[in-house]
Amino acid sequence: MRAEATAVAAPPVARAAAGGLASGAPPSWGTGSDVGDQAHRSFDLDLDVFDGPFDLLVTLILKDEIDIWEVRVSRIIADYVLRLADSGEFDLDATSQFVVLVAALLEMKSRLLLEEEVEEALEDLDPDEAAEHLLERLVRYSQFKNAAGALRRRWDEHSARLYRSAPVPPALLCRPVPAGALPAPALAAALAPLLRDPPVPDTSHLADLAVSLVKELRRLRLILGDEGGFTFAAVSSGDLLERAVTFFALLELHSGGEAVLRQKRHFGDIVVTRATRPPQAVVAV
Amino acid sequence: MHALARRLEALLFISSRPLAPPEMAAACGCPTAEVDEALAVLRVEYAAERHGVTLRDVAGGVTFAVADDCAEDVRRLTGAERPDDLTPALLETLAVVAYLQPVTRAETAEVRGVSSEWALGALEERGLVEQLGRADTPGAPILYGTGVRFLRLFGLRSLEELPPLEEFSLQAVEVDEIRARLLANAERRRA
Repeated sequence: MRAEATAVAAPPVARAAAGGLASGAPPSWGTGSDVGDQAHRSFDLDLDVFDGPFDLLVTLILKDEIDIWEVRVSRIIADYVLRLADSGEFDLDATSQFVVLVAALLEMKSRLLLEEEVEEALEDLDPDEAAEHLLERLVRYSQFKNAAGALRRRWDEHSARLYRSAPVPPALLCRPVPAGALPAPALAAALAPLLRDPPVPDTSHLADLAVSLVKELRRLRLILGDEGGFTFAAVSSGDLLERAVTFFALLELHSGGEAVLRQKRHFGDIVVTRATRPPQAVVAV
Repeated sequence: MHALARRLEALLFISSRPLAPPEMAAACGCPTAEVDEALAVLRVEYAAERHGVTLRDVAGGVTFAVADDCAEDVRRLTGAERPDDLTPALLETLAVVAYLQPVTRAETAEVRGVSSEWALGALEERGLVEQLGRADTPGAPILYGTGVRFLRLFGLRSLEELPPLEEFSLQAVEVDEIRARLLANAERRRA
């Protein structure tokens, strides 16, 4: 039963190993020599115990050639995050594989922490020993169960009791301020900064959105009317946010029955054509 | 009445929490022994059924409490409600925390044989259990213990007033009975 639990709890390591990690290069990860657009996929590390690409490090750990205790996983993560920030690109596939591998390393490390306790667990006890062990636990548990009974009796007797609990009347807590202790100018000086308006925060780094959904809908409807169709790539701009607005406008056209959307493959370009039947109701946005 | 007793009465009247004798001694500027003496006079004065309030020793000090037979009137006036009842699981968890504190969630679960996460959360929400800090072990788990509210609600002066845990041990006969049953089970498993 324990072996089963371990297998269930350790899919990342198992999967990574099964995917060919242990025998060399990880699946779909560029190796150190693979440069160009793959350059950021396997990034190089410069650690105390290891100097080279990350996937090689994982391989060596899996082969027990490097002790995982010697590896600071936090350092690897920090390096990777820096790398991501520098490259300015975000490769979802590579990053999720990185997360899986790092999670596997962390899991291996945390398992090592618990190893001693696991060894002592109730594995392969003979039935008599198991019975004695269980008895010990039952005896200990009964103490607390009985103690809970005693607490119950005290609770029934005392919990509803009303103790003196009112707060001290504020008037009794007020102590007169000694005259002259706080001169008026000091008070004014303390109050002044609180009355001043705070500086207006600098929002220059926030770009105003150049398009609105309404404008974008109007533009797409015009193109659709004039040309009968278009592709998403042709009408969308380079800005990520504006592309999102264009996309929402497309969805709006589609749900209103004004346009038909087609996409040959995942993440491929979207071909938009005018719907053959007239829209039943144009959604006003 | 005893002059010091009157002054203590005033302190107890105004304080919204139990006062320990040394605290009262400091306020009145007299030795604690004299406070104890005067408290004895007050206890006689406030003995059962003489007044609508009584003196009680709870949570490390002395405090006024409403006499039991007047409690319902006070409830009607103030709208104060009885605390919600505790389920057996909550009481059991509370017993483990009260006796083993400071105790971690894992240790509580170990004794009870079931996860105690929910129970500890519920007890904490009701102010019966408090976080005392973190254990100096791997993972730095939270340490739980009981607080003043626990003492008040269970009418305890201090944790020392809890009966020793040994008092709740199973009788030897009961232990033997369980052992026989378990061994019989083990025998069946072997066969």
